[in-house]
Amino acid sequence: MNWQDPLVKKFLYVIIAMILLCPLGILLVWDYGDAWGEWGPEDVSEKVGEDKVSGLLHLADIWAYAPLPDYNIPGWEDKVHASIGYIISAIVGVALCLGAYYILVKVVNPQASSS
Amino acid sequence: MHIPDGYLGPITCALFYLIMIPFWYKGILELKKLDPRKLPLLGVLTAFSFLVMMFNLPVPDGTTAHMVGGTLIAILMDNPWVATIAISIVLIIQAIFFGDGGITCIGANCFNMGVVLPFVGYYVYKFLRDKVGEVIASGIGAYVGIVTAAIVAGLEFGLQPFIEPGYCPYPFTVAVPAMAFAHLITAGPAAAVVTAIVVWYVKKVRPDLFTSQNKQVSGVNA
Repeated sequence: MNWQDPLVKKFLYVIIAMILLCPLGILLVWDYGDAWGEWGPEDVSEKVGEDKVSGLLHLADIWAYAPLPDYNIPGWEDKVHASIGYIISAIVGVALCLGAYYILVKVVNPQASSS
Repeated sequence: MHIPDGYLGPITCALFYLIMIPFWYKGILELKKLDPRKLPLLGVLTAFSFLVMMFNLPVPDGTTAHMVGGTLIAILMDNPWVATIAISIVLIIQAIFFGDGGITCIGANCFNMGVVLPFVGYYVYKFLRDKVGEVIASGIGAYVGIVTAAIVAGLEFGLQPFIEPGYCPYPFTVAVPAMAFAHLITAGPAAAVVTAIVVWYVKKVRPDLFTSQNKQVSGVNA
């Protein structure tokens, strides 16, 4: 894969700019609720009653191993810390996406990826 | 649009994992066949998609929504199947490392954002391209794609009470309008503008990526 392609380089600059700007994605919606249907299990059960969501409460915490839950370092609650946590998450996420993609292409298409 | 763990019951989750298997399989085959010159671009677009989903936009009803980038990838790759693969990579990483979207809902989320969104977006674009031009067509495609995906997600939320009660408590009469609204008014327009701009720019600076490989070779020889 030719990562020196000028268009790909331009995208890498865009990606760096987006990483730096990404705190806008939480600051602009700081006083807003969650996306529809993405509320925490306590919030839903409070709203509709625990008996209506017994299965939901059972399944909701099945995955408690996310190292950066909600794109943040756990406990970094104020705007400044959350913004830094968000930037860290963006960097980690981009690295993971590029890494996973690179490995996948290496596996499925070794000739193309070595050229 | 990332359905969290708990909102879909085991039957629904298993069904969507099953539905995804042929899409992932065909997607990998298409990735194998993809013009190698496009491979690095697909890589940075995958990262781009991860990042655009971090830009949550305010919805007037007090919730948030974000664009996805699936239609953009399908148009630039001229192949919605590889968009399924790129978006699936992003969604799986988001679920495992960031707790965004449930582990049990990876199948459903990949179906909504990784299949419905890029396929609808891509074919709307293809249908309109010769009528309104490629830039406008890509914007409309992105808009229709994300709104359709949101409606499908709303249907999954909303059918859940009828499949197995105890999970998502809201029927589709509530879920579908809520999901449609957020994406009609906020994420849809954002997706349309960003997709149109990026498609316009990429096609302007790199028209060579959009000629077939054979034409490219003869062009170089001539």
